[in-house]
Amino acid sequence: MNFGDIARKRLQFLAILAAGLTFSAASVGALAQEAESVEAPVAAMVEGAAPDAAADQAATAAPAFEHFGPDMIKGQPIAAEDDMWASMGFQDQYSETGNYALWMHDAILMPIITVISLFVLGLLLWVIVRFNRRRNPVASKTSHNTFIEVIWTVIPVIILLVIAVPSIRLLAAQYESPPEDAITIKTNGYQWYWGYEYVDNGGFEVISNMMPEADAIAQGYPAQLEADRRMVVPVGVPIRIQTFGADVIHSFAVPSLWFKLDAVPGRINEKVLIVEEEGIYYGQCMELCGARHAYMPIALEARSLEDYNAWVLSQPGGVIAHAEAEVVPAAEVAEEPLPAAEAPAV
Amino acid sequence: MATMVLEQRNRRTMVMAFGMALAMLGLGFAAVPLYDLFCRVTGFGGTTQVATEAEADIAQRMAASAGGREFSIRFDANTASNMPWEFRPLQVTDRVSIGQRDMATYVARNNSDVPITGTATFNVEPEQAGRYFNKIQCFCFTEQTLQPGQEVRMPVLYFVDPAVLDDPNMERVQQITLSYTFHRAKSDS
Amino acid sequence: MATTAEGFDAHHDDHAAHDHHDHKPGFFARWFMSTNHKDIGTLYLIFAIFAGIIGGAISGLMRWELAEPGLQIMGQVVEFMGGAGTFDEQGHMWNVLITAHGLIMVFFMVMPAMIGGFGNWFVPLMIGAPDMAFPRMNNISFWLTVAGFISLMFSAFVPGGIGNGAGVGWTVYAPLSTTFSQGPAVDFAIFSLHLAGAGSILGATNFITTIFNMRAPGMTLHKMPLFVWSVLVTAFLLLLALPVLAAAITMLLTDRNFGTTFYDPAGGGDPILYQHLFWFFGHPEVYIMILPGFGMISQIVATFSRKPVFGYLGMAYAMVAIGVVGFIVWAHHMYTVGLDVNTKMYFTAATMVIAVPTGIKIFSWIATMWGGSIEFKSPMVWAMGFIFLFTVGGVTGVVLANGGVDDNLHDTYYVVAHFHYVLSLGAVTSIFAGWYYWFPKMSGRMHSEFLSHLHFWVFFIGVNLIFFPMHFLGLQGMARRYPDYTPAFTYWNEIATIGYIVMAASMVIFFVNMAYALIAGKKAEANYWGEGATTLEWSLSSPPPFHQFETLPVIEDHHSADDHISPAPARA
Repeated sequence: MNFGDIARKRLQFLAILAAGLTFSAASVGALAQEAESVEAPVAAMVEGAAPDAAADQAATAAPAFEHFGPDMIKGQPIAAEDDMWASMGFQDQYSETGNYALWMHDAILMPIITVISLFVLGLLLWVIVRFNRRRNPVASKTSHNTFIEVIWTVIPVIILLVIAVPSIRLLAAQYESPPEDAITIKTNGYQWYWGYEYVDNGGFEVISNMMPEADAIAQGYPAQLEADRRMVVPVGVPIRIQTFGADVIHSFAVPSLWFKLDAVPGRINEKVLIVEEEGIYYGQCMELCGARHAYMPIALEARSLEDYNAWVLSQPGGVIAHAEAEVVPAAEVAEEPLPAAEAPAV
Repeated sequence: MATMVLEQRNRRTMVMAFGMALAMLGLGFAAVPLYDLFCRVTGFGGTTQVATEAEADIAQRMAASAGGREFSIRFDANTASNMPWEFRPLQVTDRVSIGQRDMATYVARNNSDVPITGTATFNVEPEQAGRYFNKIQCFCFTEQTLQPGQEVRMPVLYFVDPAVLDDPNMERVQQITLSYTFHRAKSDS
Repeated sequence: MATTAEGFDAHHDDHAAHDHHDHKPGFFARWFMSTNHKDIGTLYLIFAIFAGIIGGAISGLMRWELAEPGLQIMGQVVEFMGGAGTFDEQGHMWNVLITAHGLIMVFFMVMPAMIGGFGNWFVPLMIGAPDMAFPRMNNISFWLTVAGFISLMFSAFVPGGIGNGAGVGWTVYAPLSTTFSQGPAVDFAIFSLHLAGAGSILGATNFITTIFNMRAPGMTLHKMPLFVWSVLVTAFLLLLALPVLAAAITMLLTDRNFGTTFYDPAGGGDPILYQHLFWFFGHPEVYIMILPGFGMISQIVATFSRKPVFGYLGMAYAMVAIGVVGFIVWAHHMYTVGLDVNTKMYFTAATMVIAVPTGIKIFSWIATMWGGSIEFKSPMVWAMGFIFLFTVGGVTGVVLANGGVDDNLHDTYYVVAHFHYVLSLGAVTSIFAGWYYWFPKMSGRMHSEFLSHLHFWVFFIGVNLIFFPMHFLGLQGMARRYPDYTPAFTYWNEIATIGYIVMAASMVIFFVNMAYALIAGKKAEANYWGEGATTLEWSLSSPPPFHQFETLPVIEDHHSADDHISPAPARA
């Protein structure tokens, strides 16, 4: 491999990103609008312009909300160099169904498939050792044994039944309907960025592009996974995630939350999501959607309901969902002391 | 002699095999209307039902005897990326008693400077609600043309079929989302 | 299995006498207008090797690209192909490469090798037929496949949206492949599937007719060698699945070019319908790619164990069962498109059922070896490698079958690892097993056993190095079809790329071995594997005469006495 070339390519790539950044009015839509930006979806432009104002506002006024820094990253792939064992399994799970699915995989499926594979390997080795031509010059003529054939049909059936029970339970849990007052967030897939629409919070849409790699690394975030604007969600409460594809099919996927749902043009899909801990969880688009399929990450930031509401209020047109039910006065949130030293991530 | 027979048999087998292939080819194309029909009948994929006024009346009477469970209905609006319309529901959510007719209103506005014809697709979530969600009137049944800058209100008249009470899959559903997406009509471009 | 070579020979003592007026046409007529099943089989095999080299070279580019995070070589590839090398073009080029790799390996490497190559060569020989039922149709099948390949290659040089070529994935999902890929590249790629599909349908018809009508007297269906059974089941799968693909992609073409809206929501269509149709074809397709391999492995294991196949009927009907169930599990490829819970539960259950007949096959192969007198010739080593690798690929299939678990694995490298274990390590390993089993029969020259064994071990280490780490990447959430990745994934990607180099080295050994065999290989006898090899092809010289079985062999009843299959199989 020619590493000089690699460096050059990477520089090119960064240069393109940087150019995109410079030419777009703000950090919003850097990637999205850098392409044939003139024809970029009107909706995206309109929506995209609005959060700009908020960003400016946040920069000038005292920050009422501050994004988590790299120390709060929870859901991300682990490098083999850091932890060999962890790099060979699922990411740690931070949702209830995710933990159940992880248990099902680690405690049921993995042992079963490992034992089966080793069993077959063992039989093969035994056959090699015991029934080679030297040790067994005369082959038997057995070609039937109904008993053994029944055994190797019935035992797999039993194993499959053992697997089926938790499998069905997992499916049922994943399809649990979100309660009526669940906060609804729409994740809209565009070529090639995500838009998070907070329909219960005033309907603003957060346009989220990949943070340029150099910026991400400089700030301590994983390259290609961090976004310029995160999808902020409340922690510990059911969220109704609805996915929609504005152009081609995308797939909204966050591995550490065991969540993946396609964003299909012309229809919405819906699933419930409960994030159990505050933190940052990374995901990516997982349905081939064109040239920049690899560059539309999902950065999901789970915050306490108070923080979430504060964040909502910092967005243009943001209102607190079900305000009559969960009373979190805006003033109270704003009064919370916040460390002024750290610059807001957005 | 034997070869004659073999050739005939071969030809017969070939014709039968091609027949199977042709049948599958036909089935492949027939899948389009069949899938559509299947979705309409079973509500697969969250396909909604179409009902007449008369059916709505029957549903209302049936519901009256069943007691008044309510559903929350969420209204969702999307536009495809090539559609310069602003499209939103007038109300994000609403509550409706089972069997009760209700009207929801969407607002669409043409933000471009040319007239644009749009056509709407729709589905409901959760998907098992599709077979119980009946629309009596809907703007999605026909194409809509908006002049530059024109804003229109578009109504949907719907009800939830009382049969929903008998479906265990619907027992824990509290909210049904009715979603529309406006696309630029093919005839328009 | 059904017939013994020795017994058959008696009827054909006069065969050598026929050879001198065994007319072979001239070079052009023989190889371009061929109607001889063996010649067409050879053409298919050469074609498959050629396509395999191209598909394998593309995967080399892919592994090179993925060796490190960041874009490594896509820029150069784009420039090489005449593009400007912009960032978007590089991403598009990646998509073109993955699309081409998938389509080539599926339609132009594995299928031609297994069905076109080994099927054409050995089905008539094994059932005692002089040729295929429709020799000229056989020729058309082959050239349609070639035309399809040319159409696919051509698509790489015409516009396909952002750059040249079809960058839509081998699944060609709408609407990425319709509204969002302007230019003729996708049309050519789709048309290539039409051509290859038409060729395969004609081929399938030919096989079905041949197997049903042209078996030698006495060879009942239940006495047919398992390889013939596997090709029969495969032919039916082709016949039932490919027309659905043809319909699906024809509608893609009309959506692209004639304003129809089968998959376009703007006209009332549904992109999910395309996925249903594609996978209704696509799932049987994966069995089309592996079933002939099953058949070959059965022959090989029996030959080198000097034992009849254990549970012959169970083996045959397990393949039938796999074929049938293969048609009702398609939506497990679509677990995340937004299926309702009942649909997902059904497909989870149906998919897991496939593990049962597959398990029967694995255990029957082992039982065939059990008590045998195994000789570890090269085909047997490859066959045993197949059994283990296919098991590993199979058990990860059981993991993926669970809709709830698949939510986190769908479209990750875990899936890539799974299907390469069953196809690249399964189907391809069985192709090599079959190749070493039959190469001397086809060419008349013995290959080097040492190089064949070396090829196996280097290949085995190489492909495991490539694909086993992909399980880890998938579990960690690395998405498929990405030219680039976050640095955390580097380590296992590096291992995989090293594995590719090892695998590539094994292919060098393979070609050296073939060159050696053709130049300096020992002449092969009629039955060079000895007493374990009992099917009819071993009764003929190596290579067999241009026209064989001018008098049909008779599979006489008295052979049943020492036949490996019980004379009257109990009702299964």
